[in-house]
Amino acid sequence: MAMDWEPLTLWASLVIYVLAGSLAIFGVVLRKPHEKAVLALLVPGLALNTVSIALRWERLGHGPYITMFEILLSNIWSLLAIYLLAYWRIPAIRPTAAVVMPILFVMMGWLLVTSPHEGHLPATYHTVWLFVHIAFGKLFLGNVLVAVGISGVILLREARQAGSRFARLPDDSRLDELSFRFMAIGMIFETLMLIAGAIWAQDAWGRYWAWDPLETWSFLTWLSLAFALHARVAYKVSPRTGALMVLAVFALAFLTFFGVPFVSTAPHKGAV
Amino acid sequence: MPENSSSGTGRRILTALASLKLTLVILAALGAGIVAAYLSATPTIWALAVPLGAFAGNLIAAVATNPVFRRKTALLIFHLALIALILLIAAGRLTYLKGQLELAEGEVFEGQLTQEESGPWHPRRLHALRFSNEGFTIHYAKGVRRGATRNRVAWMAPDGQLRRAVIGDQNPLVLSGYRFYTSHNKGFAPTFTWHPGSGAAPVTGTVHLPAYPLHEHKQAIEWTPPDSRTPLWVMLQFDEVILDPAQPSEFRLPSAHRIVVRVGEERHELGPGERVRLAEGVLEYNGLRNWMGYTVFYDFTLPWLFAACLLAVISLAWHFWSRFSARPWDKPSTGTS
Ligand code: HEM
Repeated sequence: MAMDWEPLTLWASLVIYVLAGSLAIFGVVLRKPHEKAVLALLVPGLALNTVSIALRWERLGHGPYITMFEILLSNIWSLLAIYLLAYWRIPAIRPTAAVVMPILFVMMGWLLVTSPHEGHLPATYHTVWLFVHIAFGKLFLGNVLVAVGISGVILLREARQAGSRFARLPDDSRLDELSFRFMAIGMIFETLMLIAGAIWAQDAWGRYWAWDPLETWSFLTWLSLAFALHARVAYKVSPRTGALMVLAVFALAFLTFFGVPFVSTAPHKGAV
Repeated sequence: MPENSSSGTGRRILTALASLKLTLVILAALGAGIVAAYLSATPTIWALAVPLGAFAGNLIAAVATNPVFRRKTALLIFHLALIALILLIAAGRLTYLKGQLELAEGEVFEGQLTQEESGPWHPRRLHALRFSNEGFTIHYAKGVRRGATRNRVAWMAPDGQLRRAVIGDQNPLVLSGYRFYTSHNKGFAPTFTWHPGSGAAPVTGTVHLPAYPLHEHKQAIEWTPPDSRTPLWVMLQFDEVILDPAQPSEFRLPSAHRIVVRVGEERHELGPGERVRLAEGVLEYNGLRNWMGYTVFYDFTLPWLFAACLLAVISLAWHFWSRFSARPWDKPSTGTS
């Protein structure tokens, strides 16, 4: 019998992610960073993850955006890809992997308990706006995730046990600046995601906005981003408060991406 | 001088209205309004309209008075685009129309909607529009899962030419700004000719049975012929499986069927071409067609909204780009941002 490469590559990528994440966490805890090794693991992990998604795509004839399993799978991939890019390009923030990888572990655990069954592709999904919308959404969440990693370091520094372990990173105000640059880029992509989504909704359902659960929650996420960016202009916001706002935006975004499809059967409930 | 002090007061009010702290309050209020509207069962338009109005006032005052906008053009354009968006959304709400209609195959739309909602200033141009439903195909995957809808339509273009197109799903028919979309509602439409007992001219028309396959087991409807007082109950009867859950299928008419007509205790069965004499006239059954349900949407602001959105993202990206490229993130700032 031919080997089934799809689950095999998926499992291999998850195992490699867990190894890389553990290495990153122990590197921080034991003060023995192996940043290059983490990078060297994440790259083939992502490659295997890509192969697994491509095989599933090929087998089903549509991309990973219908079922909860597919939404989790493709977001683990995109979040890792974007984080990996930041990890590679900005060596100063590599210890943030100790914050970011556990978040991805949660998603991987969730993926493993989710049924990988095939979903039905609604007629309204045959449009290029689907890809535009999803791509911008992934770029948005990926940028916010990098900001979350940085914010996590800012907050952990206050803890007596952990603080000194992040001493090598730039000071809080520099981290805060960087984190909000990622939030600003995230704001652009979130705005683009909403626009593409509205165009799609107009085409598919004859209205560009109808406050369905996903539309409502993604707009609230957008407002929370606007709030966070403005708060920094209106007040002198401390890095700690800034970091908490980043986490709040991420929590809302996370609920929007993975909570709403979880409670409703289709990504856009009642509208497919 | 009274003049001066009053303009001074005006200026102070404008500056207060332009406060960035107020922006935060308004953003929070808008968020709360959305959550309230989302959770409440009754329409709560004020929960959104009031914060949005405040939002516009706050923004306009800020753009008018805050010197930041003099220095940062991209930021100014972004916030102007936001103002434009709010005004466009308001204009759209005042003039939109959303409605539903049904057309049997071969039938012409003559401006009648079965259901509608519209803004108070909607320009009523719908009644002048005409198009005909020339039939449709819908494929189903295994498990009766609907695939693409392809509906042939024809209409008279302003130049007097007859035009044809295939619409369906995300491809609407757009006539004078009205966008006609096919919907998941469709079904069977028996056609009857009613010959009134009074001797008046016979009338031919269709009766739209409940949507199929949504109401697969309720293919009956009560209806009263024109100029008659006695309601008739008609039911479509057939044995074959149209949409088979076990394999891919296509929406089509049953190949053999009967129409059951009940009037009080009387019961009749009709095949195509057959007729029955009732108390107030003769009912002739002509045959079966299908009907398609459409939604119609009118909002003249759509292209403008799109333009304002694009302007907003481009200017926002420009603003951040110029801010971030002016100074690397890991170098401390020197003075103001
Ligand atoms: C949800 C709607 C809004 C969004 C998304 C938004 C977004 C933004 C963004 C991204 C910035 C740039 C911040 C930065 O450079 O770090 C900004 C700055 C600013 N916004 Fe807004 N804004 C909104 C509404 C408003 C409103 C209602 C006002 C009215 C007071 C306003 C006034 C300002 C001002 C004065 C600045 C410049 C601050 C500075 O650079 O000193 N904004 N806004």
